[in-house]
Amino acid sequence: MQPLEPLTILIAEDSAADRLLLASILRRQGHQVLTAANGAEAVDAFREQQPHLVLMDAMMPVMDGFEAARQIKALAGETLVPIIFLTSLSESEALARCLEVGGDDFLAKPYNQVILAAKIKAMDRLRRLQDTVLQQRDQIARHHDYLLNEQRVAKAVFDKVAHAGCLNAAPNIRYLQSPYALFNGDLLLAAFTPAGDMHVMLGDFTGHGLPAAVGAMPLAEVFYGMTAKGYGLAETLREMNAKLKRILPVDMFCCATMLCLSFQRRSVEVWNGGMPDGYLHRIASGERTPLPARHLPLGVLSPESFDERTEVFPMALGDRVFLLSDGVIDTCGANEQLFGVQRLQQVFAANRQPDALFEEIEQALRDFGGEARDDVSMVEISLLEPEQITPPTLVYSDSGQSCPLDWSVSFEFRAATLKRFNPLPYLLQLLLEVHGLRAQSGALYSVLAELYSNALEHGVLGLDSSLKRNASGFARYYQERNARLGGLQEGYVRVHLQVAPTDDGGCLTIQVEDSGEGFDVERVMERPLDAIRLSGRGISLIRQLGRNARWTDNGRSARVEFIWEALA
Amino acid sequence: MPVVTEVSPDGQKLTISVKGRFDFAKHQEFRQSYEDKQLSAVVVDLKDATYLDSSALGMLLLLRDHAGGDDSDIRVVNSSTDVRKILAISNFDKLFDIS
Amino acid sequence: MDDDTHVDRNVLSALREVMEEGYPELLDIFLADSEERLKALRAADSAALLVETAHSFKGSSSNMGALRLTELCRQLEQQAASLPCAAVLELVGKIDREFAGIRPLYEAERQRCPAKI
Repeated sequence: MQPLEPLTILIAEDSAADRLLLASILRRQGHQVLTAANGAEAVDAFREQQPHLVLMDAMMPVMDGFEAARQIKALAGETLVPIIFLTSLSESEALARCLEVGGDDFLAKPYNQVILAAKIKAMDRLRRLQDTVLQQRDQIARHHDYLLNEQRVAKAVFDKVAHAGCLNAAPNIRYLQSPYALFNGDLLLAAFTPAGDMHVMLGDFTGHGLPAAVGAMPLAEVFYGMTAKGYGLAETLREMNAKLKRILPVDMFCCATMLCLSFQRRSVEVWNGGMPDGYLHRIASGERTPLPARHLPLGVLSPESFDERTEVFPMALGDRVFLLSDGVIDTCGANEQLFGVQRLQQVFAANRQPDALFEEIEQALRDFGGEARDDVSMVEISLLEPEQITPPTLVYSDSGQSCPLDWSVSFEFRAATLKRFNPLPYLLQLLLEVHGLRAQSGALYSVLAELYSNALEHGVLGLDSSLKRNASGFARYYQERNARLGGLQEGYVRVHLQVAPTDDGGCLTIQVEDSGEGFDVERVMERPLDAIRLSGRGISLIRQLGRNARWTDNGRSARVEFIWEALA
Repeated sequence: MPVVTEVSPDGQKLTISVKGRFDFAKHQEFRQSYEDKQLSAVVVDLKDATYLDSSALGMLLLLRDHAGGDDSDIRVVNSSTDVRKILAISNFDKLFDIS
Repeated sequence: MDDDTHVDRNVLSALREVMEEGYPELLDIFLADSEERLKALRAADSAALLVETAHSFKGSSSNMGALRLTELCRQLEQQAASLPCAAVLELVGKIDREFAGIRPLYEAERQRCPAKI
């Protein structure tokens, strides 16, 4: 009758003969034996030698088996040390006590070797099972700690790479996001364009944990990089989609809503791929226009099939765009009910103070009784006066020793290029090589963008800017723009840039020509130099930001200068 | 609750029925239901599906990729209102025939 | 009196097999301990002491195959608290006599295999 594995067994028995007999039986079965003649000795022996199993006589002098068992169980802690009481079956009261103090089994006298071996085997199996459970538990706890640490590291790296952009710096953004939102795939990015517009993106990656966080990093790099260079929404989205499609596995994607808010043009451009409805809140009328998802999430479609068409809406001062992730809507309540869009709209309807909207939504979620989630993300962007928004100054890395001061370049962008290429970021980068111009990069970009879009939209495409007078006309204008651009066969926009030194510093001359019909320059110039927002050719903008703005060739050619003083 | 597959008599059409919650727990089962088969037409029957989450959307994308990507012919049928709504928000009707 | 109802011979042979060279020592200890217990029983002045000693005696005698002795000790253990003094004394006397009767048997066993030290 060989045991599975030799154990160290402690025998606590006051009768010397019985003790001797039991010890012999156990040794014959291959075990190591410790003996004790009373409870106190048993506890000491246990403390010193840590046997695997204890055979305990109930009635012993000095300290009885019950007390000894209690102490031994306490010393053993979470390790299972089976205790088999040596007792006669007749004393049922004693049996109950044995169980109370933690006894695991009984063995009657006279000792039966077969029964004893069977009980030891069974108890040993239990002991080893407990041991395995504890080991696995500790292993799981260790892995969990590693995981938490990995997440901490990933988050630290991500924070360096992606940073908060202008989320915390800009006065017109309010947001709510858990610090662990990243590990639920929620991503919130915001940055200024060189022209002073604001790009905002609320994203939601599939999955949780590190895979979601890891996908967010390349996305954030593209967002910040391209936005800083002056690329528009469409190009940035196209690039983000292509990148995710390339690097993520097939079943991973990123739902996202991306906005371009222009304080100068008082409009918001929107692209929503797979996110819940955003809302454009018009303060004057109180109306909330939903901004639903019209596109597939990022990372699903190949570059050829990607649809970067955006929608543009006019905004008035004080109007807000509100975006939220599906953590709000999916918050589960008491009986597995979802918070849902309807409840959200009830909060909207009841809201009187726009500034209190976030608190009201949070309160409604709490009242709903739902479990607090890490992926409840909300952001609200208001349209303020451009003067209230101060984009951060760009930081340049070069020393300024080699700087092109006397040069000119001309470009002609023809129909096929006009359809697919936005030259503005490239032109701006070129001009920013001239250090003297860097301080005016915002104005420079705005003027360039205005000249180019005038030349393209009103010149080449022949669109009438008066269409943009109201909200519906606005939408029609941009639809028409996309349609005409898509079908463009002929036409050009020429851009001439000339940089020359002056006595004090330098002068940049920008000239933009288009192949269009032109317009009545005198009539437009007669209008007072006033901020004309929705419609108008942005001419006043160009005249305000640049110098010596001139329109010739019946309006087909526009020219403006920028000057700077030599840096000390 | 299981994922049940059925091949049409002529072996051309595969019908995959997902019952209960269509979420990450079904990942392996769902993949195994089609990965060893040559697919021409596939029908995903969601009649008894109670819930669909983003990992289910991912699983549909994997199926589509396996079945030929842009050349695939996959129909998602018998979606409940809730499921339909989720598919609509994610604009998956641009990739799948949903009814 | 080595009637089988007093001592179970099978138990003895099993003991001999298990104990091997330790068998004589076991017998010695049993005999010595039993003497001690008998003394304690005769001198006992409380029911608790009787119960405790009888319990202990019962245990080892059962291990040694002394069937009738085991039974007598069991009776004393169960009834010591409830029986009147005289009855208790009588039971103790029976135990005493039973042990005296089986003792030669164990001694004979002892002779058959002297301890090899």
